[in-house]
Amino acid sequence: MADELTGLGASRPSRRLLAAGAVLVGVLGLAALAAPWLTPYDPDAIVVASYHGPLAPGGGHLLGTDTLGRDVWARLVYGARTSLFVGGLAMAASLAIGMTAGLVAGYFGGVTDAALMWVVDLVLTMPSLLLLIVLATVLPPSLLTIPLVIGAIGWTTFARTVRGEVLSLRERDYISAARALGASDPRIILRHLLPGVLPGVVVLAALGMSGAIVVDAGLSYLGLGVPLPTPSWGRMVSDAQTYIAVAPWLLLAPGVAIALAVIGFNLIGYGLIDLIGRRNA
Amino acid sequence: MRRLAGVLAASLLAAACAVPLDPPPSGPPDGDGPPHPGGVLRLAAGEDPRTLDPARGYDTVSWSFEQMLFNTLVNYDDGTNIVPELAASWTTSTDGRLVSFTLRRDVRFTSGRPFTAADVKYSLERLLKPSIHSQGAEFFTGIEGATDYAAGRAGEVRGIRTAAPDRVEFALTTVDPLFLHKLTMPFAAVVDREAVDRVGDEDFARHPAGTGAFVFGEWVYGQRLRLTRNPDYFRSGLPYLDAIELTIGVSPQLGWLKYQRGEIDLAGVPSAEFQRVLADDRYRPLILSRTTLRTQYLGLNCALAPFDRVPVRQAMNLAIDKQRLLELIDGEGVIANGILPPDMPGYEPVPGYAHDPALARERLREAGLEHGFAITLWATRDEGSMRLAQSMQQDLSQIGVTMALKPVDFPALIEAVRHPGVVQLFLLGWEADFPDPSNFLTVLLHSRSRDTNNNTFYSNPEVDHLLDEAEPLLDLRRRFALFHEAEVLIMRDAPWVPLFHPAGSAVRHPRVRGYELHPLRPSRVERVWVAW
Repeated sequence: MADELTGLGASRPSRRLLAAGAVLVGVLGLAALAAPWLTPYDPDAIVVASYHGPLAPGGGHLLGTDTLGRDVWARLVYGARTSLFVGGLAMAASLAIGMTAGLVAGYFGGVTDAALMWVVDLVLTMPSLLLLIVLATVLPPSLLTIPLVIGAIGWTTFARTVRGEVLSLRERDYISAARALGASDPRIILRHLLPGVLPGVVVLAALGMSGAIVVDAGLSYLGLGVPLPTPSWGRMVSDAQTYIAVAPWLLLAPGVAIALAVIGFNLIGYGLIDLIGRRNA
Repeated sequence: MRRLAGVLAASLLAAACAVPLDPPPSGPPDGDGPPHPGGVLRLAAGEDPRTLDPARGYDTVSWSFEQMLFNTLVNYDDGTNIVPELAASWTTSTDGRLVSFTLRRDVRFTSGRPFTAADVKYSLERLLKPSIHSQGAEFFTGIEGATDYAAGRAGEVRGIRTAAPDRVEFALTTVDPLFLHKLTMPFAAVVDREAVDRVGDEDFARHPAGTGAFVFGEWVYGQRLRLTRNPDYFRSGLPYLDAIELTIGVSPQLGWLKYQRGEIDLAGVPSAEFQRVLADDRYRPLILSRTTLRTQYLGLNCALAPFDRVPVRQAMNLAIDKQRLLELIDGEGVIANGILPPDMPGYEPVPGYAHDPALARERLREAGLEHGFAITLWATRDEGSMRLAQSMQQDLSQIGVTMALKPVDFPALIEAVRHPGVVQLFLLGWEADFPDPSNFLTVLLHSRSRDTNNNTFYSNPEVDHLLDEAEPLLDLRRRFALFHEAEVLIMRDAPWVPLFHPAGSAVRHPRVRGYELHPLRPSRVERVWVAW
């Protein structure tokens, strides 16, 4: 099927990448959705009768218990929900802001373009981690705060890429034709430009997703992520670090989960780049 | 590809196994041999001491080094009894308002100049000078004329009299049963006036000089601090050590590793390692542990809903599983039923609250809150307090109370709780400055303290009355009985959920001898020696 789509025979590596990424992301997505069926434990509940340090994997606890006596596997699978939710929402927010800005700037050009790109440059000049820390500290902690903050800072890449794409697309004949036929600006943007920029955006979205997961993990690691006790992989890593010699599984489990999620989305992203590149070639 | 997967799997498996606990540093076995002079005690800290000027330091690290460099008229023994230091003896007048000291005549400053009564007067007047901005000044405003002096209306504190070079008398405006305790604080340490005159008040923190067991050597900011033995120390034969060396910039985690490598002599055991260390025969004889005069508590703001009602506050007390909290601090302490720590003079058990979620729910029903409520707990953002907070979060969810967490830095927490109407609920600890019940009950729970340390804004006229009545009493039995009565009333009103009284702990290099933890002050090192 894919061979027919691309019209080329040598696209197996990109398909493999895509497939591997899709499998990884699919497994994580399934784990997130099916979390209640994957573990009998409440991720926030203390499950040990009395606490004497973390329990090693085995027994009733697949990945042992953590530094509070909670089930690590339960926190890991419920943590997938947090990570995917935060990553997804952050990416969606970036996408919405970035695409709007990019389409508008690219299509209208002139002062609008200059103004919007000036804003993009302004956001880019600010040290993003510092800005994230300030915003995450000032805004009230909630599950929505962090993804929206990440989104509000991460949209600039989308805006620039989309604008660049639009600049070249708007000179194409079919756009001139649409304009000659009296199509309105919104119609041209939504019906003719948007589909043209989508492939590039999808790639960016996949890569942005993994970026957002890493940023969320970083913020949680700094203690600024989603509010406790909501399980999050970054927080699990940060809570586990002093226990690395005593209970390495506490660090390993969320660390591997973060790595798999990032690898999964990156594989999808690079697979798509490859696929699109071949088709355009 | 397959081989790579194999290697990867094997390394994952290897990483998943806990690393065995490294042994403690090796050293001579413990024995009864006589103290051995010589040697250097190697310590480590995360940051520089904030100051070495006793008029300004008010934190554990500063105090621990000030204690090495300076002396006070009186001090504590290994426990909370007051013993002479620079003073040879003292008497208190029958009305309790005149305290007279006879001073030792064999004490010299490290410059060689003899110590006299004038130095005592000078040091306390320096403390009270407004330009010093000492947090310790408030403890000595009860000396006659101190407020006039502090306000610049007098050239001296007339209540400090130096009748002879070896006599100093303090006239007090009111009876103060805690006056001797206040004189044990490093704030009241005797400084070398000539050294202060030479370097100035500001630089004295970096060039401190007193009568202490050790002499200031050098201080390279962010790197190291070195004190050397005072050969003319008035306690002959002491100190045993030649020097104290502090390495600065060592995190607790790094300190632990350096300790295991034998590079430092004393360290704290990281929480992560505590269980293993405690269970290890090689470490057990090296662990120092001692209960301190500290109470960790949940403060309930009595001026804000829903904690403006007693049943709700009682429900909080009944809901928290303190046994679990004690397990989370590795059992290093005892459960708190009341306000006062068990080592506090005058401590009497008070009827506390057992862990009883069913009864807690009943109390909430009484208050019309059977459907629970939502609150926010303010706590420091460190891992330790977040663990405690999450455990309590689970306890409270059992009675329908949803507790959100607000992790903040310690200075921000201290600031926030002082403002009425800001913080509903907070997690804090208090460590006694003096071994007297008033240091908890009056300082933290008298309605008069609401603009300072009574951060629960608790106010009960009956309690105030008992505390005021006890305050000036020199008769300890009567004094302690009144404080106990007040504590029982306070616990009935439940402005706090007392959680536990943490113990202090440390681990020593096997060569370190004579190092002991103190219930309310940093450890003293003049009797510490190293074996080899």
